[in-house]
Amino acid sequence: MFFRVMDKSRLPDLVRGLSASYEVVGPIAKGDTFVFAQIDDPRELRLDYTTTILPPKKYFVPPAEELMRFGMAANEVISDEVRAHPRVIFGLHPCDINALMLMDNVFLGEYEDPYYKARRESTLIVGVNCTPEAECFCNAWGTDEVHRGFDIFLSDLGDRYFVSLCSVKGADLLDRYVETRQVTADDTAEFQRVTRHFKQSFVGEAVDTAQLPLLLDAKFNDPVWDELGEACLSCGACSMVCPTCYCFDVKDRLDADGQAGSRVRTWDSCQFSHFAEVAHGHNFRATSSSRVKYRYYHKQWGYLSKFERVLCVGCGRCERACKAGISPRGVIEALQAGGAS
Amino acid sequence: MSTDAYRSLHANPYRPWPARITSIRDLTEKEKLFELRLIDEDVRDAFHFAAGQFVEVSVFGVGEAPISISSAPSKGGFIELCVRNAGDVTGALHAKQCGDIIGLRGPFGRGFPFEQMKGHDVLLVAGGLGIAPLKSLINHIHDERYDFGNVTILLGARNPDEILFRAQFDMWKHRDDFNLVMTVDVPDDSWDGEVGLVTRLFDQLEIDPDNTFGAICGPPVMYRYVIDEMRKKRMDVDRIYVSFERRMKCGIGMCGHCGVGHQYACIDGPVFNYWEAMNLQEAI
Repeated sequence: MFFRVMDKSRLPDLVRGLSASYEVVGPIAKGDTFVFAQIDDPRELRLDYTTTILPPKKYFVPPAEELMRFGMAANEVISDEVRAHPRVIFGLHPCDINALMLMDNVFLGEYEDPYYKARRESTLIVGVNCTPEAECFCNAWGTDEVHRGFDIFLSDLGDRYFVSLCSVKGADLLDRYVETRQVTADDTAEFQRVTRHFKQSFVGEAVDTAQLPLLLDAKFNDPVWDELGEACLSCGACSMVCPTCYCFDVKDRLDADGQAGSRVRTWDSCQFSHFAEVAHGHNFRATSSSRVKYRYYHKQWGYLSKFERVLCVGCGRCERACKAGISPRGVIEALQAGGAS
Repeated sequence: MSTDAYRSLHANPYRPWPARITSIRDLTEKEKLFELRLIDEDVRDAFHFAAGQFVEVSVFGVGEAPISISSAPSKGGFIELCVRNAGDVTGALHAKQCGDIIGLRGPFGRGFPFEQMKGHDVLLVAGGLGIAPLKSLINHIHDERYDFGNVTILLGARNPDEILFRAQFDMWKHRDDFNLVMTVDVPDDSWDGEVGLVTRLFDQLEIDPDNTFGAICGPPVMYRYVIDEMRKKRMDVDRIYVSFERRMKCGIGMCGHCGVGHQYACIDGPVFNYWEAMNLQEAI
């Protein structure tokens, strides 16, 4: 990894410079919260943001996207053009960058999703360090740090950024648009101090993840799932705001004239009641308790059984979004409870 | 098909290839057998599959549905799909005529371990529409019959009218290289076969537990009981194979709909051995 130091006042230069060849998006204020949106003026960019309602996955797998156009006369595909334009996303926190790498395992694995791939390849990632919020527990999974998966990473040292460069593209662009200087021993020491402070800033008890995958099997019939099922509204909000939930539905939409149409992919959730229903009506997860359980089972064990990582980055968005008060920390705590101490 | 061959042909794994319906046969009131031929020659040549794999069938304007292949891999150029009219896509498919064009993606998933099964006895148990994927395996064994020991097929259906491929199986009853037994829950006047659940047929079976592979497909409720019978006959858990029906929307391990336990039916299955299936929560 290469490092540089950049004066904070230079950030607008970088944003303006990149605007010439990239669509620039980043966190902006919206009411008393933040959202990722297009940046027209560098002053809108809020790198001091807490977290966003929706994760940046919308820039890689949009809530709804056309996969292909088909014609009804010949009953075949007219076009399946993959569209992606150069875009830079500013301000991704380590959790969200880690989440993208977890998505890569799914969409760029044995089979490649050309739509995701095109967007991933045309998107530049500029990360930034953060301050843990009350719901954050990324430190439980080690996703509070990120060592790859970005182009440029900015660590806030007060009046300057400690800049990590992970790609040649990131290094080139930084070099082109901003004046930076070499890192001194003082800069590195300050970077270490900021990192230590960050590690000590997590609110609440550390999450006990000991033997979680095994516990999910051992306590598969635990009454805790019934209680969670009672509470859950099956609204799917947890999946929508999750940076690692990738499930989708595909539907055909006919044009008004009925001559052609689009095959459209939309976000879906395993919490929706018909998610696991097969054609003649059998529903493999008809109860909300089986669906809540499946979501955790898949994240903490199913995904891990393939990729050696849990499918959660501890961003806390699902806890904030849940109207029933279900939180991943609470679920894990409930599973850990009951054992001899 | 190897992943490389698949990749070169399918730069976009979501894009269906046009296939022509070359014949349609009514099997029962609800099921039809479609014979399809991929139109593009290169795609057709690269389309190799194993018994137990499935395809995604597209009827544009309606959507896609996963359907297991019923014909044998040894039948080049054509594939057969046994389709029950049970939903939007299968309903639209039933309305199609011979010569019409539909979309096809695949083949997907993991099929039966045909090569490992060679040299052994095979016991196949199908209930209802469960014969659809097993028919591919049965046909493949038929085409290479000399490589197998005793082959027993137990076929269950609700009533005689619902027995799929009945004309062919009626003829097979008289063959001595296949031990075929059919049973129905509710017989009619013409029925001279067995009556009752397929599990009842196990009493009369002689199975060599050291030398027998099992293959099961049927309605969700059936697996546990048939597996119990196979275990009573002391068959090994990793020689009993099951094929699961789940909602495989994408076929490539991304959409998440076919999750079964900690795996996906579309890429990890739909065929699992019983040891694997035992480890999949809520699978059986």
